[in-house]
Amino acid sequence: MSFGKTFSNRQRIVKALWALVLNVILWIVIPYYIGTLLAGRVGGTPLTIPTFVYEFGIVFTALDVGAAYFDGLVWCVPFLSGVAILSAVYLWLVTNGGDLSITEMNISIALEFRLLLYVFIVPSIWAAVRAPLSYLVWRRALSSQPAVPPPPPPAP
Amino acid sequence: MKRQTPRGIWALRGVTIAIAIMVLLVVGTVVYSAYEDYSAVRPEFSPGSSQVQATATPYGSAGETVSVTVTVPNGGLYTLDVTLTCDNPSPNISCTEGHVSVPPGQQQVLRFTLTVLNLQQYLSSSDRRINGTVAMALEPFVSLSIATDLSGLVPAGGA
Repeated sequence: MSFGKTFSNRQRIVKALWALVLNVILWIVIPYYIGTLLAGRVGGTPLTIPTFVYEFGIVFTALDVGAAYFDGLVWCVPFLSGVAILSAVYLWLVTNGGDLSITEMNISIALEFRLLLYVFIVPSIWAAVRAPLSYLVWRRALSSQPAVPPPPPPAP
Repeated sequence: MKRQTPRGIWALRGVTIAIAIMVLLVVGTVVYSAYEDYSAVRPEFSPGSSQVQATATPYGSAGETVSVTVTVPNGGLYTLDVTLTCDNPSPNISCTEGHVSVPPGQQQVLRFTLTVLNLQQYLSSSDRRINGTVAMALEPFVSLSIATDLSGLVPAGGA
């Protein structure tokens, strides 16, 4: 998020492609393999369902690519807030609201960490609020700055 | 001419840093406490530990009561709750729940009793499983409950 900076169209496309690759790895490839490891062992998490991983991965990637492409413009704000809100929802869903059960070698373990999960979600919620606030602060600062003086006339 | 970063942006960055520090502090202290408590409590519960004092006393003419006394230390930063219960005792098996709430830096004694009526019939049966739960909680953040078999507490040869 860098309001006020200007990027060429080529720079925007490179940033968006880079975001695409990173997000596919981060939100589709890694969760898929984690899900296959957890399948049959951890109950309650939807991470073991491939369609859940693909659907969330595609939405995450689309939003982050949009945020990267529109970086520095007002259009990146809804994308950034969307990614932040979605990551909070994702964290809540994959941990089953902080209530997981693990079964391994005839021993079942129930783990509950709802308050800790709220602590983990706070940065995402803040990021969702911060994006529009940053834009408003930047706009306000821009409008309160004195007008740029005209360039001096060329020397005779 | 380089544009100055508005003060509001610095304030927002400050809030972000404060939130990050808060999350790191909470997670760090919880992980530290979990590690300290696990290292301290695990040896206390291990079979053959001198801390697990299982004393079997004859109950009536054909039964037995097993008393388990465990010292639970808390080396972490949060209050540690430990509970030991039977989940579905059969008519021949009953138990009293053992529960302690140990403040940080202290230790307390957990007492748990398991009564087996008709001991000979129990020892000769093929299914000797006694479902129990060991629940541990780092108040107020994390709780962990492990469903386990408590039949190992009953001495094989009886009292």
